[in-house]
Amino acid sequence: MLRIIRLFLVAAFALASLGVPVAQVGAAGDTIVFGSAVSLTGSLTKEGHLTQEGYDFWKDYVNAHGGLKVGGKSYKVDIKYYDDESKPNNASQLAERLIDQDHVDFLLGPYGSGTAFTVAGIAERKKMPMVEGNGAAEKIFSQGYRYTFGVLSPAKKYLQRVLEMALLQKPRPQTLAISASSDAFSLEVQDGAVAWAKDHGLNVVYANKYPDGATDVSSVISAIKAAKPDIILNAGHLQDAILVNKGLKEQNVIAKLYGYSVGPDTPDFVSTLGKDAEDIVGGAQWSEAVTYQGVPGFYRTAKEYADAFDKQFHHRPDYHNAESTAACLAFQYALEKAGSLDKEKVRDALAGLDMITFFGLIKFDSRGLNVFKPMVVNQIENGKLVTVWPAAIAKAKVKYPARPWSAR
Amino acid sequence: MQLFLQNLVNGILSGGILALVALGFSLVYGIMNIINLAHGAYIMLGAYLAWQLFTSFHVDPMLSVPLAFVVLFAFGYVVQRTVINRVVRAPVLATFLLTFALSLVFVTIALFIWTGDTRGVQTSYAGANFTLAGVTVPWAKLLTLVVALVITGLLYLWLHRSKTGRAIRATSMDVGAAQMVGVRVAHVYGITYGLGAGLAGAAGALLTLSYPLTPTMGDPFLIKGFVVCVLGGLGSVEGALVGGLVYGIISSFATQFDVTILGQHLSGTGLQDVVALIVLLLVLIVRPRGLVGRATA
Repeated sequence: MLRIIRLFLVAAFALASLGVPVAQVGAAGDTIVFGSAVSLTGSLTKEGHLTQEGYDFWKDYVNAHGGLKVGGKSYKVDIKYYDDESKPNNASQLAERLIDQDHVDFLLGPYGSGTAFTVAGIAERKKMPMVEGNGAAEKIFSQGYRYTFGVLSPAKKYLQRVLEMALLQKPRPQTLAISASSDAFSLEVQDGAVAWAKDHGLNVVYANKYPDGATDVSSVISAIKAAKPDIILNAGHLQDAILVNKGLKEQNVIAKLYGYSVGPDTPDFVSTLGKDAEDIVGGAQWSEAVTYQGVPGFYRTAKEYADAFDKQFHHRPDYHNAESTAACLAFQYALEKAGSLDKEKVRDALAGLDMITFFGLIKFDSRGLNVFKPMVVNQIENGKLVTVWPAAIAKAKVKYPARPWSAR
Repeated sequence: MQLFLQNLVNGILSGGILALVALGFSLVYGIMNIINLAHGAYIMLGAYLAWQLFTSFHVDPMLSVPLAFVVLFAFGYVVQRTVINRVVRAPVLATFLLTFALSLVFVTIALFIWTGDTRGVQTSYAGANFTLAGVTVPWAKLLTLVVALVITGLLYLWLHRSKTGRAIRATSMDVGAAQMVGVRVAHVYGITYGLGAGLAGAAGALLTLSYPLTPTMGDPFLIKGFVVCVLGGLGSVEGALVGGLVYGIISSFATQFDVTILGQHLSGTGLQDVVALIVLLLVLIVRPRGLVGRATA
């Protein structure tokens, strides 16, 4: 038996040390090469591909519009990718390879908080500026790191907006159940929602976590059902959201509102669940409905961005696409401002950034976290994502209470 | 009480599919002494076959189960005879690496064909359920359990009654003696490996009813299947069944335990895998051959 376990470990190690290069090496000289380890296989494949699309969209735009102008010179842009197989340890090894062997100029973040956390450690050690748009856990930014910047709102805020909206509905919800996957991001989302709920007089009747990458959540669902909550939230990723939603229907759990942190915004959520996705809400970093007027140098509004994106990738951008593009934009403006490729100067320029873009305000606090941009809430109506909160930009009123499963 | 019953039902329902997942893995290991790391990939291929038939021709995944079995059986047989048979007597590490490589190849091909998008099969009865004594039972999962049990039963009968089945068992007991009485070992190995792949394919097709599809969806099931068949006893049909049900029920009830140790709150829900693995360790200490496994020389 021991022999078998040892063999299993050997294989796991072999798996971990494999890194599959997926793009050719960028040229030196007149090209600025960014490096990124994203999840192209594994449980975060979908989110990883959305991240890559967001990066590539920016790269293609910049290269088609004369390149990046840094210190009076124009540079082409290239991005070197590795597949981290959705494993944080792979991502940190690949980040080292990008820096030490491929000599990339700057790092773009991986997908996910767990991964971004390990890569941020490498970026710090190597004094390599990194901007990421897909790791929202505050854990990444509470280490005193100087070289990692995140363009997205912190994890704790993901579901707070959903609750804020819910409390203004009639009949007012009284109780909340929230499950979470045991990963850094989801646990912070849960903490943030629970703290907010307690501050605002919502009774938290269930708050628990399940293993990261769970294949069966039926017992979590049973416990939620027994707690009879008005609002059911889940902090997790796309696969969790699908499993939880299927589970809630299978056990016929009725609540007034269902909301998930990640999932409803990705097109796969609707295509996988069909009508069972109706009325589900999700916290989102961005939606096409936001009305920011960005500074010149890139698409200036959400609509322009979305239309051009659709033309290139044949689907509407979701917030993962947008936040990934926004991470690149932070580099674009910082490089222009710094007027140099010097890593220290670029880092300082990033730290001082204060720009409105199609994605919203990009500005970092002393930890490198963008606490200044608000979240939005989307709801699925007739298979489409509709922004329902904040009221000022809402395209429709939220459907509340959500219809029972049998009536969708 | 109601929650207790509900958790029991949840555990049994999820244990049934785990048993089917473990069954093919267990057979291949018990008879050929190969730890088949491609097992997860066969599950995935079965699932995508069912998904493709559902999406293109509206074939219910339940009807795809036998087809997935047959297709993956044939595929497994060919893979065994052409590739794996070359290293079947080699040290375990060789087969280990070979099946691992096969798994990478299959997953990458699936990524090319179906992309990394998450897919799902949304049948008309998805999520339909009935309530009995306050316990909610989803039809899809009940059906999955029944089919898993039927397949397990049929396999048991076939292994014990049919000529080929007996040849397979004879080979697992003593390869030399089996050869002497005229068993064609290479053929038996091909059939066994095909069965393993076929069972994985059937499990994959069944899984589409309750589980989203991605090219790497097989990984967690490979690991769970491995644990389940060690728990129940390697190489036996009964072992996989008992192991699967025990694993399912334990991880279901583990969600009920919330303990605070040294001021640290430990949530049972977050630790269900840990609890199941602790049980595995205890079983291995007390009964190294697994719950219903036979002692080997």
